[in-house]
Amino acid sequence: MADRNRIPNPCKELEENLVLLHYGDLAGAERQTLRDHLASCAGCTDYLKELATLLPLTIKADEPSQIFWHDYSRELRHKIDAVSEKQSWRRRLSGFFQPWSIPALAGAAVVMLALTLTFGKGIWQSNDLPKDDAAMIEALPVAENLEFFKAMDVLDDLDLLESMGNQGDAA
Amino acid sequence: MNPGDEELVTRAQQGDRRAFEDLVERHKQKAYYIAFDFSRDREDAKDLSQEAFLKAFTNLKKFDGRSSFYTWFYRILVNLCLDYKRRQKRAPTDTFDETLESHMEPSHEPKKPRSPDQQVLAGQFSRRIGEALEALPARQRTAFILKNHQGLSIKEIAELMETAEGTVKVHLHRAVTALRQSLAEFA
Repeated sequence: MADRNRIPNPCKELEENLVLLHYGDLAGAERQTLRDHLASCAGCTDYLKELATLLPLTIKADEPSQIFWHDYSRELRHKIDAVSEKQSWRRRLSGFFQPWSIPALAGAAVVMLALTLTFGKGIWQSNDLPKDDAAMIEALPVAENLEFFKAMDVLDDLDLLESMGNQGDAA
Repeated sequence: MNPGDEELVTRAQQGDRRAFEDLVERHKQKAYYIAFDFSRDREDAKDLSQEAFLKAFTNLKKFDGRSSFYTWFYRILVNLCLDYKRRQKRAPTDTFDETLESHMEPSHEPKKPRSPDQQVLAGQFSRRIGEALEALPARQRTAFILKNHQGLSIKEIAELMETAEGTVKVHLHRAVTALRQSLAEFA
């Protein structure tokens, strides 16, 4: 392990260019100026050496076998097949739902609904009810009407009582 | 003569599956290695790079050729890798060392027998590199990996990251400085 005191101390303003020089990304005048500087600066020279030692160590190479690459391609082909299949379904569906077809389908649905409500009342009513229930269903509106007429009778009685009361007052 | 990427892309956009498969064959290794540099895991690298190809396949019609296919595709890949790192940070699983060692095939270089001390030191170093890379901000890490591991030019990295070349240089310098500080004891 290196002594901490031996850590290279480059010129701060040149550090970025030293990194670029290490990677071969410094060209022209800048490169020449830095090269000239390096000839007389131990700190920058050591820094450059340290980069050359340290940075390649950060790379961890992987060397997959031929079988891996073969499997890789085969697996990817299957995945692409699956995606293509999904895409073609989507295309077929989107082809069905063309811009003109949506209002047309909606219109047809509304017409169907209207026809069903108009002519289909009898169809939707169940004929499987027992005879008693059917009779009850028929009698119910009549019974409701009877209640109504009874209420009307009470009102008539009230009117009669009222008119009698008025006659009494007049007398 | 082999057709260029642009020609293959045009054919693939017209529905030629074979053309897209040729693009995959051409770029699969580089794509895998970039994904491996980010994930440090063979299975994840395979999944990530394949996902990038699938995304490119499904979005190929949207590719307008304003940038090269290379830039467009690797941008998709790098974004997927960064998303993967974000997800991984939220749910940490294996340590860097275990993940890496368990998926490594024997290298072509003959391995020298290591003493127990050397093994411990190598393990520590490997772990520290992983931690140091993890600790870098996403854009610094991206610039560093694409430069240091993949050898892309500053211009290519700038196009890929959709930023200025000067910004890439700054990211790269900061990444190197941070890594140097993290790994100082091993220098």
